[in-house]
Amino acid sequence: MTVSFVSDAAARLIPSVVAIVDGAERGGGGAGIAWGASGLIVTNAHVATHRDVTVVAADGRRARGAVVARDARRDLAVVRASGLELPGAPTGDPARLRPGALVFAVGHPFGVHDAISAGVLQAVGRLPRGFPINGRGAYPWVQADVRLAPGNSGGPLADAAGLVIGVAAMIVGGLALAVPAPDVDALVATVT
Amino acid sequence: MSDEQRSLIALSDQLADAVAKAGAALVAVHARPRLPSTGVHWRDGVVVTTEATVRRDSDINVTLPDGSRTSATLAGRDRGTDLAVLRIAPGRLPVAPLGDPARLQPGHLVLALARLDGTAPRAAFGAVSATGGRWRCWKGGEIDLLVQSDLSLYPGFGGGPLVDASGRVQGINSGGLSRPLATTIPVATVNRVVEQLLQRGYVSRGWIGAAMQPVQFDAATRKRLQRDGGLLLLSIEPDAPAAHAGLLVGDVIVTIDGVPLDTPDQLRDRLAGDVVGISLKLEVARGGTIVTSDVQIGERPRSRQ
Repeated sequence: MTVSFVSDAAARLIPSVVAIVDGAERGGGGAGIAWGASGLIVTNAHVATHRDVTVVAADGRRARGAVVARDARRDLAVVRASGLELPGAPTGDPARLRPGALVFAVGHPFGVHDAISAGVLQAVGRLPRGFPINGRGAYPWVQADVRLAPGNSGGPLADAAGLVIGVAAMIVGGLALAVPAPDVDALVATVT
Repeated sequence: MSDEQRSLIALSDQLADAVAKAGAALVAVHARPRLPSTGVHWRDGVVVTTEATVRRDSDINVTLPDGSRTSATLAGRDRGTDLAVLRIAPGRLPVAPLGDPARLQPGHLVLALARLDGTAPRAAFGAVSATGGRWRCWKGGEIDLLVQSDLSLYPGFGGGPLVDASGRVQGINSGGLSRPLATTIPVATVNRVVEQLLQRGYVSRGWIGAAMQPVQFDAATRKRLQRDGGLLLLSIEPDAPAAHAGLLVGDVIVTIDGVPLDTPDQLRDRLAGDVVGISLKLEVARGGTIVTSDVQIGERPRSRQ
Protein backbone atom coordinates (compact mmCIF):
# COMPACT_ATOMS: atom_id res chain seq x y z
CA MET A 1 0.00 0.00 0.00
CA THR A 2 1.35 3.41 -0.88
CA VAL A 3 1.55 5.88 1.95
CA SER A 4 0.38 9.06 0.31
CA PHE A 5 -1.00 11.87 2.37
CA VAL A 6 -4.53 12.90 1.51
CA SER A 7 -4.47 12.22 -2.24
CA ASP A 8 -7.29 9.69 -2.23
CA ALA A 9 -9.74 11.87 -0.31
CA ALA A 10 -8.63 14.95 -2.25
CA ALA A 11 -9.00 13.29 -5.64
CA ARG A 12 -12.60 12.45 -4.84
CA LEU A 13 -13.30 16.02 -3.73
CA ILE A 14 -11.70 17.90 -6.64
CA PRO A 15 -14.57 17.29 -9.15
CA SER A 16 -16.85 19.17 -6.72
CA VAL A 17 -14.54 22.18 -6.51
CA VAL A 18 -14.94 25.08 -8.95
CA ALA A 19 -13.12 28.30 -9.69
CA ILE A 20 -15.02 31.58 -9.54
CA VAL A 21 -12.88 33.44 -12.07
CA ASP A 22 -14.38 36.92 -12.10
CA GLY A 23 -14.62 37.38 -8.39
CA ALA A 24 -12.90 40.11 -6.44
CA GLU A 25 -10.31 37.95 -4.67
CA ARG A 26 -6.76 39.16 -5.21
CA GLY A 27 -5.15 37.05 -7.91
CA GLY A 28 -8.23 36.95 -10.09
CA GLY A 29 -10.74 34.78 -8.33
CA GLY A 30 -11.54 32.28 -5.68
CA ALA A 31 -12.92 28.81 -5.24
CA GLY A 32 -16.35 27.33 -4.72
CA ILE A 33 -17.78 23.99 -3.77
CA ALA A 34 -20.83 22.04 -4.96
CA TRP A 35 -22.59 21.70 -1.63
CA GLY A 36 -24.00 18.30 -0.69
CA ALA A 37 -27.23 17.36 -2.41
CA SER A 38 -28.38 20.98 -2.77
CA GLY A 39 -27.37 21.38 -6.41
CA LEU A 40 -25.91 24.75 -5.43
CA ILE A 41 -22.40 26.13 -5.24
CA VAL A 42 -21.13 27.77 -2.08
CA THR A 43 -18.34 30.34 -2.02
CA ASN A 44 -17.33 33.42 -0.02
CA ALA A 45 -19.27 36.66 -0.29
CA HIS A 46 -15.95 38.43 -0.85
CA VAL A 47 -15.32 36.16 -3.88
CA ALA A 48 -18.75 36.42 -5.55
CA THR A 49 -19.10 40.17 -5.32
CA HIS A 50 -21.29 40.56 -8.43
CA ARG A 51 -24.78 39.21 -9.06
CA ASP A 52 -23.46 37.09 -11.91
CA VAL A 53 -20.22 35.11 -11.88
CA THR A 54 -18.37 32.74 -14.15
CA VAL A 55 -17.93 29.26 -12.73
CA VAL A 56 -15.22 26.92 -14.05
CA ALA A 57 -15.32 23.23 -13.17
CA ALA A 58 -12.18 21.17 -12.53
CA ASP A 59 -12.55 19.58 -16.00
CA GLY A 60 -12.65 23.01 -17.66
CA ARG A 61 -16.40 23.34 -18.30
CA ARG A 62 -17.56 26.93 -17.85
CA ALA A 63 -21.00 28.27 -16.97
CA ARG A 64 -22.64 31.47 -15.86
CA GLY A 65 -23.85 31.46 -12.30
CA ALA A 66 -26.26 33.69 -10.40
CA VAL A 67 -25.79 34.61 -6.76
CA VAL A 68 -29.04 33.51 -5.11
CA ALA A 69 -28.16 34.11 -1.46
CA ARG A 70 -25.54 36.14 0.36
CA ASP A 71 -24.51 36.69 3.97
CA ALA A 72 -21.74 39.29 3.98
CA ARG A 73 -21.22 39.11 7.75
CA ARG A 74 -20.62 35.38 7.55
CA ASP A 75 -18.74 35.88 4.25
CA LEU A 76 -20.89 33.35 2.38
CA ALA A 77 -22.57 33.41 -1.02
CA VAL A 78 -24.65 30.75 -2.73
CA VAL A 79 -24.46 30.45 -6.52
CA ARG A 80 -26.79 28.63 -8.90
CA ALA A 81 -25.06 27.60 -12.11
CA SER A 82 -27.75 26.15 -14.34
CA GLY A 83 -26.46 23.72 -16.89
CA LEU A 84 -23.32 22.80 -14.97
CA GLU A 85 -23.73 19.33 -13.50
CA LEU A 86 -21.35 18.79 -10.60
CA PRO A 87 -21.11 15.98 -8.04
CA GLY A 88 -22.08 17.44 -4.68
CA ALA A 89 -19.40 17.11 -2.03
CA PRO A 90 -20.42 15.24 1.13
CA THR A 91 -20.41 17.49 4.17
CA GLY A 92 -19.89 16.85 7.87
CA ASP A 93 -20.09 18.66 11.18
CA PRO A 94 -16.61 19.80 12.35
CA ALA A 95 -17.78 19.67 15.98
CA ARG A 96 -17.25 15.88 16.05
CA LEU A 97 -13.52 16.25 15.24
CA ARG A 98 -10.83 16.61 17.86
CA PRO A 99 -7.86 19.02 17.77
CA GLY A 100 -5.03 17.35 15.87
CA ALA A 101 -7.32 15.60 13.39
CA LEU A 102 -5.99 15.79 9.84
CA VAL A 103 -7.70 18.28 7.55
CA PHE A 104 -6.99 19.53 4.05
CA ALA A 105 -8.02 22.42 1.85
CA VAL A 106 -8.60 22.43 -1.91
CA GLY A 107 -8.43 25.71 -3.81
CA HIS A 108 -6.54 27.77 -6.32
CA PRO A 109 -3.85 29.58 -4.29
CA PHE A 110 -2.19 32.25 -6.44
CA GLY A 111 -4.04 30.80 -9.44
CA VAL A 112 -2.65 27.25 -9.08
CA HIS A 113 -5.74 25.19 -9.77
CA ASP A 114 -6.98 22.49 -7.40
CA ALA A 115 -3.99 22.69 -5.10
CA ILE A 116 -4.07 20.72 -1.85
CA SER A 117 -2.76 22.01 1.46
CA ALA A 118 -2.87 19.75 4.48
CA GLY A 119 -2.64 20.24 8.22
CA VAL A 120 -4.58 19.66 11.41
CA LEU A 121 -7.67 21.00 13.12
CA GLN A 122 -6.90 23.45 15.88
CA ALA A 123 -10.31 24.34 17.28
CA VAL A 124 -13.96 24.77 16.37
CA GLY A 125 -15.66 27.79 17.89
CA ARG A 126 -14.90 31.38 18.68
CA LEU A 127 -11.37 32.67 18.47
CA PRO A 128 -9.55 32.85 21.80
CA ARG A 129 -9.75 36.07 23.77
CA GLY A 130 -6.85 38.31 22.92
CA PHE A 131 -6.43 36.89 19.42
CA PRO A 132 -6.21 39.43 16.58
CA ILE A 133 -9.73 38.93 15.23
CA ASN A 134 -10.44 41.76 12.77
CA GLY A 135 -13.94 42.18 14.17
CA ARG A 136 -15.00 38.63 13.35
CA GLY A 137 -14.56 37.14 16.80
CA ALA A 138 -18.25 36.86 17.51
CA TYR A 139 -18.72 33.94 15.10
CA PRO A 140 -17.72 30.31 15.44
CA TRP A 141 -14.97 29.29 13.02
CA VAL A 142 -13.28 26.08 12.03
CA GLN A 143 -9.70 27.02 13.00
CA ALA A 144 -7.03 24.99 11.26
CA ASP A 145 -3.26 24.80 10.93
CA VAL A 146 -3.38 24.77 7.13
CA ARG A 147 -1.54 27.08 4.77
CA LEU A 148 -4.01 29.10 2.72
CA ALA A 149 -3.38 31.85 0.18
CA PRO A 150 -5.45 34.19 -2.01
CA GLY A 151 -7.37 31.85 -4.32
CA ASN A 152 -8.28 29.40 -1.54
CA SER A 153 -11.22 31.55 -0.44
CA GLY A 154 -14.55 29.85 -0.92
CA GLY A 155 -12.98 26.41 -1.29
CA PRO A 156 -13.55 23.42 0.95
CA LEU A 157 -11.77 22.44 4.15
CA ALA A 158 -12.25 18.69 4.53
CA ASP A 159 -11.42 15.99 7.07
CA ALA A 160 -9.50 12.72 6.58
CA ALA A 161 -12.68 10.96 5.42
CA GLY A 162 -13.15 13.59 2.71
CA LEU A 163 -16.20 15.25 4.29
CA VAL A 164 -16.33 19.02 3.82
CA ILE A 165 -16.38 20.59 7.29
CA GLY A 166 -16.14 24.23 6.29
CA VAL A 167 -15.68 26.90 3.64
CA ALA A 168 -12.20 28.49 3.74
CA ALA A 169 -12.67 32.21 4.31
CA MET A 170 -9.62 33.93 5.71
CA ILE A 171 -6.31 33.85 7.53
CA VAL A 172 -5.91 35.51 10.92
CA GLY A 173 -2.61 35.40 12.76
CA GLY A 174 -1.49 32.76 10.26
CA LEU A 175 -4.43 30.58 11.24
CA ALA A 176 -6.84 29.34 8.55
CA LEU A 177 -10.46 30.15 9.33
CA ALA A 178 -13.37 28.38 7.66
CA VAL A 179 -17.12 28.87 8.05
CA PRO A 180 -18.44 25.72 9.79
CA ALA A 181 -20.57 23.44 7.59
CA PRO A 182 -23.74 23.80 9.74
CA ASP A 183 -23.66 27.59 9.20
CA VAL A 184 -23.35 26.97 5.45
CA ASP A 185 -26.26 24.51 5.58
CA ALA A 186 -28.38 27.19 7.24
CA LEU A 187 -27.80 29.68 4.39
CA VAL A 188 -28.21 27.04 1.67
CA ALA A 189 -31.55 26.02 3.27
CA THR A 190 -32.93 29.52 2.70
CA VAL A 191 -32.55 29.13 -1.08
CA THR A 192 -34.66 26.10 -1.87
CA MET B 1 -13.55 2.69 1.90
CA SER B 2 -10.04 2.20 0.52
CA ASP B 3 -7.05 0.98 2.53
CA GLU B 4 -5.44 4.34 2.01
CA GLN B 5 -8.41 6.17 3.42
CA ARG B 6 -8.61 3.83 6.40
CA SER B 7 -4.93 4.41 7.18
CA LEU B 8 -5.37 8.15 6.78
CA ILE B 9 -8.27 8.18 9.24
CA ALA B 10 -6.21 5.99 11.60
CA LEU B 11 -3.34 8.49 11.43
CA SER B 12 -5.77 11.34 12.02
CA ASP B 13 -7.14 9.57 15.11
CA GLN B 14 -3.63 8.87 16.39
CA LEU B 15 -2.66 12.53 16.08
CA ALA B 16 -5.84 13.61 17.89
CA ASP B 17 -5.05 11.04 20.63
CA ALA B 18 -1.55 12.50 20.96
CA VAL B 19 -3.00 16.00 21.32
CA ALA B 20 -5.46 14.84 23.99
CA LYS B 21 -2.78 12.93 25.94
CA ALA B 22 -0.24 15.76 26.10
CA GLY B 23 -2.94 18.43 26.22
CA ALA B 24 -4.15 17.13 29.59
CA ALA B 25 -0.85 18.41 31.08
CA LEU B 26 -1.04 21.91 29.58
CA VAL B 27 -2.11 25.16 31.21
CA ALA B 28 -2.70 28.65 29.86
CA VAL B 29 -0.28 31.07 31.54
CA HIS B 30 -1.58 34.58 32.19
CA ALA B 31 1.56 36.62 32.72
CA ARG B 32 1.32 39.22 29.95
CA PRO B 33 -1.28 41.55 28.48
CA ARG B 34 -3.93 40.16 26.13
CA LEU B 35 -3.14 36.69 24.84
CA PRO B 36 -1.92 34.05 27.36
CA SER B 37 1.01 31.76 26.60
CA THR B 38 1.18 28.00 27.15
CA GLY B 39 2.77 26.18 30.08
CA VAL B 40 3.66 22.49 30.49
CA HIS B 41 3.04 20.71 33.83
CA TRP B 42 6.58 19.34 33.91
CA ARG B 43 6.62 17.88 37.41
CA ASP B 44 3.85 17.82 39.98
CA GLY B 45 3.30 21.45 40.95
CA VAL B 46 5.90 22.76 38.50
CA VAL B 47 4.97 24.49 35.23
CA VAL B 48 7.49 25.40 32.52
CA THR B 49 6.94 28.12 29.93
CA THR B 50 9.10 30.49 27.89
CA GLU B 51 10.81 33.35 29.68
CA ALA B 52 9.88 35.93 27.06
CA THR B 53 6.14 35.35 27.59
CA VAL B 54 6.34 35.95 31.37
CA ARG B 55 6.15 39.72 31.38
CA ARG B 56 5.57 40.20 35.09
CA ASP B 57 7.03 38.61 38.23
CA SER B 58 3.85 38.49 40.31
CA ASP B 59 0.07 38.35 39.83
CA ILE B 60 0.46 35.30 37.58
CA ASN B 61 -2.47 32.92 37.01
CA VAL B 62 -2.86 29.73 35.06
CA THR B 63 -5.99 28.18 33.52
CA LEU B 64 -6.18 24.41 34.01
CA PRO B 65 -7.64 21.96 31.45
CA ASP B 66 -10.89 21.83 33.46
CA GLY B 67 -11.31 25.59 32.99
CA SER B 68 -10.54 26.57 36.58
CA ARG B 69 -8.02 29.31 37.32
CA THR B 70 -5.34 29.02 39.96
CA SER B 71 -2.55 31.31 41.06
CA ALA B 72 1.09 30.61 40.27
CA THR B 73 4.34 31.94 41.67
CA LEU B 74 7.45 32.54 39.62
CA ALA B 75 10.25 30.22 40.79
CA GLY B 76 12.73 31.82 38.41
CA ARG B 77 13.56 32.73 34.86
CA ASP B 78 16.54 32.11 32.60
CA ARG B 79 16.87 34.46 29.65
CA GLY B 80 19.75 32.44 28.22
CA THR B 81 17.56 29.42 27.44
CA ASP B 82 14.25 31.36 27.25
CA LEU B 83 12.73 29.28 30.07
CA ALA B 84 10.70 30.29 33.12
CA VAL B 85 9.45 28.04 35.90
CA LEU B 86 6.23 28.55 37.87
CA ARG B 87 4.98 26.80 40.97
CA ILE B 88 1.31 25.84 41.31
CA ALA B 89 -0.54 23.73 43.88
CA PRO B 90 0.36 20.04 43.37
CA GLY B 91 -2.08 17.36 42.27
CA ARG B 92 -4.22 19.55 40.04
CA LEU B 93 -3.49 17.94 36.64
CA PRO B 94 -1.44 15.10 35.12
CA VAL B 95 2.30 15.50 34.65
CA ALA B 96 3.42 15.68 31.02
CA PRO B 97 4.73 12.38 29.55
CA LEU B 98 8.34 13.14 28.58
CA GLY B 99 10.11 11.66 25.56
CA ASP B 100 13.68 11.40 24.37
CA PRO B 101 14.35 14.09 21.75
CA ALA B 102 17.77 12.57 20.99
CA ARG B 103 15.81 9.96 19.02
CA LEU B 104 14.09 12.50 16.78
CA GLN B 105 15.25 12.58 13.18
CA PRO B 106 14.42 14.90 10.29
CA GLY B 107 11.10 13.78 8.82
CA HIS B 108 9.51 12.58 12.06
CA LEU B 109 5.95 13.85 12.38
CA VAL B 110 5.52 16.25 15.30
CA LEU B 111 2.88 18.55 16.77
CA ALA B 112 3.17 21.85 18.57
CA LEU B 113 0.50 22.26 21.22
CA ALA B 114 -1.01 25.19 23.03
CA ARG B 115 -3.63 25.89 25.64
CA LEU B 116 -5.22 29.33 25.58
CA ASP B 117 -8.21 28.63 27.80
CA GLY B 118 -10.07 25.84 29.60
CA THR B 119 -11.42 24.26 26.42
CA ALA B 120 -9.54 21.80 24.21
CA PRO B 121 -5.81 22.16 23.53
CA ARG B 122 -4.72 23.55 20.16
CA ALA B 123 -2.43 21.83 17.70
CA ALA B 124 -0.14 22.63 14.80
CA PHE B 125 1.34 19.87 12.68
CA GLY B 126 4.62 19.42 10.85
CA ALA B 127 7.84 17.49 10.61
CA VAL B 128 11.23 17.67 12.27
CA SER B 129 13.46 19.66 9.88
CA ALA B 130 16.87 19.58 11.50
CA THR B 131 18.55 17.88 14.43
CA GLY B 132 22.02 18.22 15.86
CA GLY B 133 24.17 18.28 18.94
CA ARG B 134 24.82 20.87 21.60
CA TRP B 135 24.55 24.50 20.49
CA ARG B 136 24.43 27.96 21.93
CA CYS B 137 21.42 30.12 21.12
CA TRP B 138 21.71 33.84 20.46
CA LYS B 139 20.37 34.57 23.93
CA GLY B 140 23.51 32.93 25.31
CA GLY B 141 22.17 29.70 26.81
CA GLU B 142 23.61 26.25 26.19
CA ILE B 143 21.05 23.97 24.51
CA ASP B 144 21.81 20.24 24.72
CA LEU B 145 20.33 19.28 21.33
CA LEU B 146 19.26 21.08 18.19
CA VAL B 147 15.64 20.32 17.32
CA GLN B 148 14.02 22.47 14.65
CA SER B 149 10.68 21.73 13.03
CA ASP B 150 8.66 22.89 10.07
CA LEU B 151 5.57 23.95 11.95
CA SER B 152 3.84 27.22 12.67
CA LEU B 153 3.96 28.61 16.19
CA TYR B 154 0.70 30.59 16.29
CA PRO B 155 0.03 33.35 18.82
CA GLY B 156 -0.05 31.71 22.26
CA PHE B 157 1.97 28.62 21.21
CA GLY B 158 5.18 29.91 22.84
CA GLY B 159 5.99 27.86 25.95
CA GLY B 160 3.97 24.93 24.65
CA PRO B 161 5.40 21.48 24.01
CA LEU B 162 6.70 19.79 20.89
CA VAL B 163 5.15 16.32 20.98
CA ASP B 164 5.73 13.27 18.84
CA ALA B 165 2.99 11.23 17.18
CA SER B 166 2.50 9.25 20.40
CA GLY B 167 1.94 12.36 22.50
CA ARG B 168 5.29 12.37 24.31
CA VAL B 169 6.71 15.81 25.11
CA GLN B 170 10.09 16.37 23.44
CA GLY B 171 10.72 19.87 24.74
CA ILE B 172 9.43 23.42 24.96
CA ASN B 173 8.83 25.48 21.81
CA SER B 174 10.31 28.94 21.81
CA GLY B 175 8.94 31.53 19.42
CA GLY B 176 11.88 33.84 19.99
CA LEU B 177 14.93 31.64 19.50
CA SER B 178 14.93 31.36 15.73
CA ARG B 179 12.81 31.94 12.68
CA PRO B 180 11.38 30.71 10.38
CA LEU B 181 11.78 27.20 11.79
CA ALA B 182 10.30 26.48 15.20
CA THR B 183 13.03 25.83 17.77
CA THR B 184 12.51 23.42 20.65
CA ILE B 185 14.38 23.51 23.94
CA PRO B 186 14.89 19.77 24.52
CA VAL B 187 13.89 17.81 27.61
CA ALA B 188 17.46 17.54 28.99
CA THR B 189 17.98 21.31 28.88
CA VAL B 190 14.59 21.95 30.44
CA ASN B 191 15.35 19.46 33.24
CA ARG B 192 18.69 21.13 33.95
CA VAL B 193 17.23 24.64 34.03
CA VAL B 194 14.18 23.57 36.08
CA GLU B 195 16.50 22.03 38.68
CA GLN B 196 18.52 25.24 39.04
CA LEU B 197 15.54 27.60 38.98
CA LEU B 198 13.75 25.58 41.68
CA GLN B 199 16.89 25.46 43.82
CA ARG B 200 18.09 29.04 43.60
CA GLY B 201 15.80 30.99 41.29
CA TYR B 202 18.37 31.58 38.58
CA VAL B 203 20.88 29.70 36.43
CA SER B 204 24.44 30.08 37.59
CA ARG B 205 26.94 30.83 34.82
CA GLY B 206 30.70 31.19 35.03
CA TRP B 207 32.14 34.69 34.60
CA ILE B 208 35.54 36.34 34.57
CA GLY B 209 34.42 39.96 34.12
CA ALA B 210 36.26 40.98 30.97
CA ALA B 211 35.28 42.10 27.50
CA MET B 212 37.33 40.63 24.67
CA GLN B 213 37.57 40.09 20.95
CA PRO B 214 39.38 37.49 18.87
CA VAL B 215 42.73 38.51 17.32
CA GLN B 216 45.25 36.83 15.01
CA PHE B 217 48.97 37.33 15.68
CA ASP B 218 51.29 38.56 12.94
CA ALA B 219 53.69 36.04 11.45
CA ALA B 220 56.64 36.98 13.64
CA THR B 221 54.64 36.75 16.89
CA ARG B 222 53.08 33.51 15.72
CA LYS B 223 56.52 32.05 15.18
CA ARG B 224 57.95 33.32 18.45
CA LEU B 225 55.00 32.30 20.67
CA GLN B 226 54.01 29.17 18.72
CA ARG B 227 50.38 30.38 18.92
CA ASP B 228 48.06 31.63 16.15
CA GLY B 229 46.08 34.14 18.19
CA GLY B 230 43.62 34.40 21.03
CA LEU B 231 41.23 36.72 22.83
CA LEU B 232 42.35 40.33 23.30
CA LEU B 233 41.13 41.87 26.58
CA LEU B 234 39.38 45.17 25.84
CA SER B 235 38.20 46.01 29.34
CA ILE B 236 38.27 44.44 32.78
CA GLU B 237 35.67 45.12 35.42
CA PRO B 238 36.91 46.22 38.82
CA ASP B 239 36.81 43.52 41.50
CA ALA B 240 36.03 40.86 38.88
CA PRO B 241 37.84 37.48 38.66
CA ALA B 242 39.98 38.70 35.74
CA ALA B 243 41.17 41.67 37.81
CA HIS B 244 41.96 39.46 40.81
CA ALA B 245 43.98 37.17 38.53
CA GLY B 246 46.16 40.13 37.54
CA LEU B 247 45.02 40.27 33.92
CA LEU B 248 45.53 43.57 32.12
CA VAL B 249 43.80 45.33 29.24
CA GLY B 250 45.82 44.42 26.14
CA ASP B 251 46.61 40.90 27.30
CA VAL B 252 45.73 38.16 24.82
CA ILE B 253 44.37 34.96 26.38
CA VAL B 254 45.68 32.13 24.19
CA THR B 255 44.63 29.05 26.15
CA ILE B 256 42.34 28.15 29.04
CA ASP B 257 43.07 24.86 30.79
CA GLY B 258 45.43 24.08 27.91
CA VAL B 259 42.68 24.51 25.27
CA PRO B 260 43.48 27.10 22.55
CA LEU B 261 40.95 29.94 22.27
CA ASP B 262 39.94 31.41 18.92
CA THR B 263 36.49 32.79 19.68
CA PRO B 264 34.68 34.14 22.77
CA ASP B 265 32.18 31.27 22.41
CA GLN B 266 34.93 28.78 23.19
CA LEU B 267 35.59 30.59 26.44
CA ARG B 268 31.82 30.71 27.18
CA ASP B 269 31.65 26.96 26.57
CA ARG B 270 34.38 26.44 29.16
CA LEU B 271 32.49 28.67 31.59
CA ALA B 272 29.21 26.75 31.15
CA GLY B 273 28.03 24.22 33.69
CA ASP B 274 29.21 23.79 37.25
CA VAL B 275 32.41 25.89 37.22
CA VAL B 276 31.79 28.70 39.68
CA GLY B 277 34.56 28.74 42.30
CA ILE B 278 37.03 26.50 40.47
CA SER B 279 40.43 27.75 39.33
CA LEU B 280 41.47 27.56 35.67
CA LYS B 281 44.96 28.09 34.25
CA LEU B 282 45.28 30.76 31.56
CA GLU B 283 48.16 31.27 29.14
CA VAL B 284 48.38 34.93 28.25
CA ALA B 285 50.47 36.71 25.59
CA ARG B 286 51.82 39.86 27.20
CA GLY B 287 54.77 42.00 26.01
CA GLY B 288 55.89 39.41 23.50
CA THR B 289 56.05 36.45 25.87
CA ILE B 290 53.65 33.94 27.37
CA VAL B 291 52.80 34.28 31.04
CA THR B 292 50.50 32.02 33.01
CA SER B 293 47.83 33.05 35.45
CA ASP B 294 45.22 31.25 37.54
CA VAL B 295 41.74 32.72 37.47
CA GLN B 296 39.10 31.72 39.98
CA ILE B 297 35.82 31.61 38.06
CA GLY B 298 33.12 33.85 39.50
CA GLU B 299 29.39 33.81 39.06
CA ARG B 300 27.96 36.05 36.38
CA PRO B 301 25.97 38.83 38.07
CA ARG B 302 22.24 38.27 37.58
CA SER B 303 21.94 41.68 35.91
CA ARG B 304 24.20 40.37 33.11
CA GLN B 305 22.35 37.11 32.49
